[in-house]
Amino acid sequence: MNELPVSNGLLIIPHLRVQNANAISSPLTWGFPAISAFIGLMQAVERKLKGRFALMFDSVGVICHSHEAQVSEGYQRAFRLTRNPVNERGETAAIVEEGRIHLDITLIFGVSGYREDGQPDPVQGDWQQRRQIATEITELLGSLRIAGGSVFLDPQHKPLLEPLAQGEERSKQFRYLRRRWLPGFALVSRDDLLQAHLQHLQGENVSADLLDAWLDLSRLNLRAQETRPASETQPANVEWRAQRVVPNGWLVPIPVGYSALGPLQAAGSVANARDGQTPLRFVESLYSIGQWLSPHRLRDVDDLLWYASAAPEAGLYRCHNLYSQTLCTDDME
Amino acid sequence: MNALSSSRQQAIRSLIEHFIAERLAAKLEGLADDDPKRATLLAQYTPAAWLEDAARRAGQIQAVTHTLKAIHPDAKGTNLYCLPNSLPQHALVGSHCLGDDFAGDVVGNAAALDVYKMLKLEHDGQPLLSLLLAEDEGALAALHDDAEQSRSLTAAFTGITCARGGLASHTHGKQLYWLTGDDPCNDADFHLLAPLYASSLAHRVYQQIQADRFGEPAKEARQARRDKQFHPGVIHEYPDLAVQKLGGTKPQNISQLNSERRGDNYLLASLPPSWQQRDVRLPIRTRDGSIFPAFGKRPAVAELVRNLRDFLLSGPPPNVHTRNSRDELLTELIDELLLYAAELWAFEPGWSAKPECNLNRAEQLWLDFRRAEHDAVFASEWRHMDWLTEIRERFANWLNARLVSKLSVGDVENSYWAKQAGSNALWLDLDWLNQAWVDQFEREQRDLEAEHE
Repeated sequence: MNELPVSNGLLIIPHLRVQNANAISSPLTWGFPAISAFIGLMQAVERKLKGRFALMFDSVGVICHSHEAQVSEGYQRAFRLTRNPVNERGETAAIVEEGRIHLDITLIFGVSGYREDGQPDPVQGDWQQRRQIATEITELLGSLRIAGGSVFLDPQHKPLLEPLAQGEERSKQFRYLRRRWLPGFALVSRDDLLQAHLQHLQGENVSADLLDAWLDLSRLNLRAQETRPASETQPANVEWRAQRVVPNGWLVPIPVGYSALGPLQAAGSVANARDGQTPLRFVESLYSIGQWLSPHRLRDVDDLLWYASAAPEAGLYRCHNLYSQTLCTDDME
Repeated sequence: MNALSSSRQQAIRSLIEHFIAERLAAKLEGLADDDPKRATLLAQYTPAAWLEDAARRAGQIQAVTHTLKAIHPDAKGTNLYCLPNSLPQHALVGSHCLGDDFAGDVVGNAAALDVYKMLKLEHDGQPLLSLLLAEDEGALAALHDDAEQSRSLTAAFTGITCARGGLASHTHGKQLYWLTGDDPCNDADFHLLAPLYASSLAHRVYQQIQADRFGEPAKEARQARRDKQFHPGVIHEYPDLAVQKLGGTKPQNISQLNSERRGDNYLLASLPPSWQQRDVRLPIRTRDGSIFPAFGKRPAVAELVRNLRDFLLSGPPPNVHTRNSRDELLTELIDELLLYAAELWAFEPGWSAKPECNLNRAEQLWLDFRRAEHDAVFASEWRHMDWLTEIRERFANWLNARLVSKLSVGDVENSYWAKQAGSNALWLDLDWLNQAWVDQFEREQRDLEAEHE
């Protein structure tokens, strides 16, 4: 499945405050919680609603307005921890480092309303009905956790359930919506850069691999540039400059899902599983490159949305975002 | 047995014997000549006896690439040894990228680690463990002259790559549900995923970062940068790198590689750019009664202006591509301006009414628009929208001045630039600018009016 589900509406929940969300998004990255946390939240919401509204949740986008990571200052960050209860002998328990971050985020869900029992599609309802639905779902969200962090609702910001316009109207609608998400940053996927950069690196060094490309995109590379002086008596002017693969692009390494480490184990066959009814599989995190973009750089709501797929035969469980795919088609035109 | 594997057998056997002799020498060191321990040690460290004991102790350790303990030190469950090449290959980053060149990890009783050290001995660049796993004749024969014995030793040693007991996760381990079907409300549509810590992958990343931070070439390049000298090397910086301690004060309790990393798990930052209101000052006492001087100082803006200037100075041909590139840069600049405005809108409205605020009226109307809620005069001026034209012109004037002032007198390009500037600006298309502005603001107005009704 490599297609964004087509939605006929957007559920926008502005300015949720999340306290103590998980800042360790994977064994190799920290900062903003993994996007799979938001996919999981979306599915949890749909499960909790139990068909209360004729609404399917297809995809989720997230805008981070502000964040406050609980880390120490300095070049090398360390996590500010919490103190756990002592053990039964009164000794300090072994410390397990957990990263925490406070967030102010706007969630945008791609939703599909449908007609049911002769009732009209909730997304096409009148303004008040839509507001009612949006408010009810937001209240439910307030009772859940996002990436392990508690959720605080701000009554000043009203949630919206918006029917998605089509054609020319749609891009107008999106421009109007995205203005309300400023200031903030949206996370999009840049899988394309990972591949392109790998090819670039292999041009210099045949043995370069995907991991090299990933690390190279995750850091700043400073190179010395020498400018010849006008006369020979003057010393050459040397400037160390960071070179960026995408000028002005805020690229970050992100976890995007999981890859199987072995075959699927039958339900109940693995000891200490969360339940005995679901087949279990050992997996490891998978990584790609993401980009934080100000919402005004997004061209369409599809740029923003993430959805999940599972390909158990290929051992892949991952999240997708199509921002870079639409970039490619733009380039071809 | 052919000659090749026979010489291989000799080479590997001497490798093992040398290894055992070295360990014996270390043990004997410092023991008195008449110490009774001496005889015991000598008996223990004959190759046959040592290998037999090692085979027994091999059961106490496990070679792994993916561990559970790193996730929580109290978690007891399945650890896995997955050769990177045997994992599904795909276009994302994971352990499968490591190929043949990876560091295996060991978990289990630290007292049995010497068994793993022996198995890591390399012949022809291949570790003994790999040879035994591949049932290399020479390696098998090197363990013991008797084929039966050698087979049982091999079984014990290669057994360290197998998961012990039944498969298990743990309440301290992570397990998450992943939707594999269509319906999130249907429990049967999920798989449980139990992520393990990819220790070999983490080790490779760790080694790379260590080399980039503390390696000799990196140090030289950094020194050259401090001295403002040229150096062909590249400095790799990892901004906001975080260190997560695994295993607290006892990293060896997690795994062998974790111990080598002293428990430091490097985490690369994936934070969004930091936007903080305290970084934005209210434009109350402004230069020239305008936000534009302060706006121009924002790093992103300064960079865009620089890029725009460089682009125009490069003398691009006057065609559609040039116009598109220029418009792209201008759009980004306008976006930056709108972003700045949005940051100011986040303040408590009414700030522009303070007597000490010297901001130009048009800019007040734009940047403090919610003041209209309580200020009727302000509101009517706002609705009139004259300020919109004025802002646009102020922006154009500011940008023109910035682009021109960026050029130092005497530049070779200056004459070209002056010509361009004189001949009605390739670089600032006012019609286009009008269009971009009006689009944005019309929406804004409708939106606000709708909200006030």
